[in-house]
Amino acid sequence: MAMDANRAWVGYVAALVGTLACTLAGLAMRPRFDLVNVAMVYLLAVVIVALWFTLGPAIAAAILSVAAFDWLFVPPRGRFTVDDVQYLLTFAITVAIALVISRLVERMRRQAEAQARLEIAAETERIRSALLASISHDLRTPLAVMAGASSSLAERGERLTADERRALAQSVFDQAREMSEHVAKVLEMTRLEAGAIELSRDWTALPEVVSSVLARLQARLAAHRVIVELPDDLPLVRVDASLVEQALSNLLENCARHTPAGTVVRVRAQRREGDVMVTVEDYAAGLSDAELEQLFAKFHRGSVEGSGTDIGLGLAICRAIVRLHGGHAWAERAPGGGTAFRFTLPLEAMPAWPEEPLPQPT
Amino acid sequence: MTSATVLVVEDEPEIRRFLRASFDAEGYRVVESANGRRGVIDAGSHKPDLAIVDLGLPDVDGIDVIRRIREWSSMPVIVLSARAHERTKIEALDAGANDYITKPFGVGELLARVRAALRQRARLRGGGNLLRLGDAVIDLDRRMAARGREPLHLTPIEFRLLATLACHLGLVVTHRELLSEVWGPTHAKDTHYLRIYTKQLRDKLEADPVRPRYLITETGVGYRLLADE
Repeated sequence: MAMDANRAWVGYVAALVGTLACTLAGLAMRPRFDLVNVAMVYLLAVVIVALWFTLGPAIAAAILSVAAFDWLFVPPRGRFTVDDVQYLLTFAITVAIALVISRLVERMRRQAEAQARLEIAAETERIRSALLASISHDLRTPLAVMAGASSSLAERGERLTADERRALAQSVFDQAREMSEHVAKVLEMTRLEAGAIELSRDWTALPEVVSSVLARLQARLAAHRVIVELPDDLPLVRVDASLVEQALSNLLENCARHTPAGTVVRVRAQRREGDVMVTVEDYAAGLSDAELEQLFAKFHRGSVEGSGTDIGLGLAICRAIVRLHGGHAWAERAPGGGTAFRFTLPLEAMPAWPEEPLPQPT
Repeated sequence: MTSATVLVVEDEPEIRRFLRASFDAEGYRVVESANGRRGVIDAGSHKPDLAIVDLGLPDVDGIDVIRRIREWSSMPVIVLSARAHERTKIEALDAGANDYITKPFGVGELLARVRAALRQRARLRGGGNLLRLGDAVIDLDRRMAARGREPLHLTPIEFRLLATLACHLGLVVTHRELLSEVWGPTHAKDTHYLRIYTKQLRDKLEADPVRPRYLITETGVGYRLLADE
């Protein structure tokens, strides 16, 4: 609203400046040109103001122009009298043109807004259907495993060795965990999309977030070599720690899923001007250029297309969380040939804290 | 084998079933309550050693069940909560719960929490405040610490923080509780103090501070101190 008011104010100033400019031009033209041509110059100013601003400034420009024209150019000069019917007609047409153009511009603006709303609705719908596709695809496999493994335990458990029984039970457990993670992600994306998440921000140490993610993904990352590089003086950030943990977890999980076992995954954070940048980098040349492009596109658009895996979902969630915090998330080709996923979190000034005297040796 | 009695307040029969099976196998006696009202009554009549309370009960709020139990009993209470509900977890802990576990959970994890809660109760009655965290040993009574053969210098605040966590060994302690205990109630919201001092403690105590084994972060809730047996 403040911006609209500001814009209207600028519009009135433009109307005044435009009229002044036309008056100067008109005064210069007067010795050699007909009055009708001078009127045309004023008309041009009115048209421009009507195109760029709202109806108010356009009408203001029209009235100012007509007044200036009448006062300075139409004889008798220095007075608001109109002797000639011709000029009266010129004035009427000027005002009419201001009105018509303003209306047209306004209508175009409305149409553009409606179009934008439609696009947002279509985007929401697209995300919703992609979520549904993702649910049905990514839940079917674990459900099939769970049904199969548990039924063989229930129906023929006594004919299996203890090791086989344990392996089947373990896979039921693992798949249930997997499914639970996935359901949580879908719910989270739905909440993020609906704008239903209220950030509970508190001072957070990013190294703690990294540690929690590493602990949470221990099994998933077991086959990878995870290198953590965090500067000792990394400042605290005021964020919703649970959500940022989720964002980072999605990036790491994504790397673990799409790079071969034994490869390195690097987690880094660095302080920059006004923010902290977190990077999750892999060194797998396993992805083709086309796949990389697709990955980047998913991350940049925050789309959840291609539900073959929930990669799109994970990246889209990461991006939505980072945006909620006022940061940016993007992906780029890493110098080592792999992929670097990065996000930033804005820094805030930290309140004071009591320094403790150095410990006394006991 | 233990002979402790565990009260399970949970409306889902399938969850009660596997909890009972697991507790039976470990030698616990189990009392099941299918709703909150029943749970409060059973807590009074069976006098269990510990209660497990689901926060998503159909009849009354699980947090109210905890409050009712706390009116007369200090028995350990562990709540079962849904994921991503940090505020509910904190509310339950503030109402008097001793720990929480997030659904879905593995039984191993739950049994570890139950053992920690029961042990803490025993320790409150007994004494013996020697903490072993890897190669670090902390004598809470004599306020002395060592790592390997080297004496370990802890600042008074680091020591207080560690002692507060050790009072609830194996159990979660909320930010608010830690801040009030260590810095006083006026600092109950100064979470940044905690972030700074837990880092210092980890640097002194953990072999790999990035992958801490003893001082564990409970994101959005608080901290948990684990120790070697």
